[in-house]
Amino acid sequence: MSSSLLLAAAGEVGGDFFKERTSDTLPCQAKPNEPFCFDWARENIDRFGTPTVQHLELVVISVLIGFAIAFAIALFAHRRSWLQPPLLAATGVLYTIPSIAFFFLLLPVTGIGKDTAIIALAAYTLQIIYRNTMLGLANVPASTKDAARGMGYTDRQILWRVELPLAIPEIVAGLRVAIVSTIAIATLAVFIGGGGLGTQIYGGGNLTFPTSVFIALAIVLLMAMVFHVALLVAQRFLTPWRKARVA
Amino acid sequence: MNDQPAASSVRYEETTKVYPGSSEPAVDHLSLEVPAGEICVLVGPSGCGKTTAMRMVNRTVEITSGDVLIGDSSVRDREPAQLRREIGYVIQQIGLFPHRTISENIGAVPQLLGWKKEQTRERAAELLELIGLDPALGDRYPAQLSGGQQQRVGVARALAADPLVMLMDEPFGAIDPINRERLQNEFLRLQAEIRKTVLFVTHDIDEAIKMGDRIAVMREGGRVEQYATPAELLMAPANEFVEDFVGADRALKRLALMRVRDINLWEAPLAHVGQATAEVRAKLASPDVEVAYPLLVDDERRPLGWLSERDLAAEIVPGRPDSPLGPVLELDDVMRDALADLLQGEAQYAPVVDHQRRIIGVLSVEIISEFLKSPEAKSDEHPAVERPHE
Amino acid sequence: MSALQLPLGSFGGAIEFIFSEQTSNVTGGAKVGGLEQAVELALKQLEVTALALAVALVLALPLGLYLGHKGKGELVLVGLANAGRALPELALIALVAALIGIGLVPVTLALAVLGIPPIISNAYVGVRQVDPAAVEAARGMGMGELAIIRKVELPLAISTVMGGIRGATIAILATATIAPLAGVETLGDYIINASIYGDDGRLAGAILVALLALSLEGLLALLQRRLTSDGLKVKTV
Repeated sequence: MSSSLLLAAAGEVGGDFFKERTSDTLPCQAKPNEPFCFDWARENIDRFGTPTVQHLELVVISVLIGFAIAFAIALFAHRRSWLQPPLLAATGVLYTIPSIAFFFLLLPVTGIGKDTAIIALAAYTLQIIYRNTMLGLANVPASTKDAARGMGYTDRQILWRVELPLAIPEIVAGLRVAIVSTIAIATLAVFIGGGGLGTQIYGGGNLTFPTSVFIALAIVLLMAMVFHVALLVAQRFLTPWRKARVA
Repeated sequence: MNDQPAASSVRYEETTKVYPGSSEPAVDHLSLEVPAGEICVLVGPSGCGKTTAMRMVNRTVEITSGDVLIGDSSVRDREPAQLRREIGYVIQQIGLFPHRTISENIGAVPQLLGWKKEQTRERAAELLELIGLDPALGDRYPAQLSGGQQQRVGVARALAADPLVMLMDEPFGAIDPINRERLQNEFLRLQAEIRKTVLFVTHDIDEAIKMGDRIAVMREGGRVEQYATPAELLMAPANEFVEDFVGADRALKRLALMRVRDINLWEAPLAHVGQATAEVRAKLASPDVEVAYPLLVDDERRPLGWLSERDLAAEIVPGRPDSPLGPVLELDDVMRDALADLLQGEAQYAPVVDHQRRIIGVLSVEIISEFLKSPEAKSDEHPAVERPHE
Repeated sequence: MSALQLPLGSFGGAIEFIFSEQTSNVTGGAKVGGLEQAVELALKQLEVTALALAVALVLALPLGLYLGHKGKGELVLVGLANAGRALPELALIALVAALIGIGLVPVTLALAVLGIPPIISNAYVGVRQVDPAAVEAARGMGMGELAIIRKVELPLAISTVMGGIRGATIAILATATIAPLAGVETLGDYIINASIYGDDGRLAGAILVALLALSLEGLLALLQRRLTSDGLKVKTV
């Protein structure tokens, strides 16, 4: 790590605060009130490795499960409009219940550990993915569907070859929001023994110290940004026709 | 294009549509036959059931009772999706797939029918040419095309699998009037070549008269008040409803049925480049000259422009005439369009040329209005007119 | 079946905990549970939520409406909305507690930060979606810019704006659940300090928080409906 370069740069910006400590100053301790201790960070960065991997695992599995369920129910409700308000309400309930409460509501049934966390996190993503999928499908122009039907596409062909491709932008947007939100909320998994970066913020029944929190926070934000950008790129790639504008 | 029959007849037999919850049928026992290869226009006020009637042919509206036969087979015997792949379908809002290229859009039905990729691609290119679009557009997306181009693609898409019947529901309704006329003419020229059976729905009687081989004037319940050729409709409306719908200015509407060649044209005094102007002025002085200006033509008798007084003031006829040609008409042009061109171009005269652009005669608004006032225009006797397509 | 009995039994215990004060079976001696305590903590949670929401509204709503009216700042607001979603509440509470202090004021400020992104971005979007013809007409009638925002844009955008307020409220309420970590006692105390309240208390806390969140959301949804003029009733948020 070019930490000396980083510190020198930070020194320019932050003045005294970020200056590299010289040998005659005491190495900083990661104290409860110390905003950021570079020494501690440098030495202890590897303890963030496993929590990061756990965190990723929680997020990816939860979102995949959430997507699979939400997408499936959206397809089911697509041509049955009477189902839509109750489904929206049901997924809304799961979204509204604060995650930490959700963990402990599940506790008597599924116990401690990452499985409980995954169930709760997946439930949280259902509404946004379901709603965005429905929105995407609803935005397909009626005339396009009329033309497809009149040309001889079956209902199923219309869904898979016309409606869903055209709904991709909204669906991917929903997925993107779901992932970013889940990355943030997965920090709470620590309360239910699910691991993740939350363990570096709250461990053993107490809040840790700012340096640790900042690093965990940075990793979370970085993760969120990476996924956000990756999904934007994926969406562009999947919808080449949107770049084309009227000649 | 191929040796198989290109089109089938369409027959409505007591076809009825009643929507659930409705006391009145939307289409009440419609019986109508459309001969193969003809354009039948269903025209009437909104809500009369014309679109519903058209949609019962490909079962995008299900038939309540009665039947629709394509050729000899009932549409009710077929599975709807299968049936529709054999019927061309063009709608007002066009409905191209935004996420597919133009070629892919055109090839949609062939693909559904399982054609090979190469075959489909070739067919798409063929059709692009047929509808007069640059084949390079095949790789563009619909959003990159204008409305007129999109609708052309819509027509090409409907023709791709060489259907027996075409259904067209106000296909040019969403296009601006100038392009609409162009598209109408192009479609008529296309139809002259491919001769499909077309069911064409419109609320515009002028479009009906221009496009239809036969016209069914409908009122609520899909009731046909008259089913006849355009000429019959104009000359012998069956009742007050038809008369009102067709409009009082039937004489003007007759112009849609005439071609420029049907009328007696005037002759303009001709002038050649380099000719002595004295000769030209002599022609002008003649008592039975009909046109006030000399027409400058080249060696092949192709018009170049009109000569003004200033031009004639010189010794010899100049190469560049003072006044431009203005609208130039052909013998095959529909008279109504010719009148419109004359009026729009604010031209008193328009040269009429043949296929090689050689001058035949001159048309003026006066000639047309004289014709409209003549007993010939108002009589019920009428020489057989050919449709404005060959 | 014992697999079902166990959870049912737990829920039974939790319900009991809510309604009757009992001797804590963990710390021994001190009285925990009971309706009075539950209500007190619930009110405390609502109080800090309301305060934070008020601060967020004051800061975010006028700015969001104004930016929407002008049509400026879309990129920044989109970024803000995304950042808001990515911000982990646990980290926020932890940092505030350590670096600013514990207690009502720091926590309120932290919660307000969470509420700002949804309010400001929804206000922006809501105003942008108002029919420009209506605004033009108002301008033509001689209304001042401020009056236009108040009398034309806000009423027409109210549904979307309320959607943002709903989102902010729920986010704030959810984070208020872990406010005990920073010295503000809310219902989350039952969950976080299970060492005092025991397993029954913890489950009771979860139930109560869930109910509180759902009730509040329901009320806000009703409010949103009432405020949206009949001409604009939107089916979903």
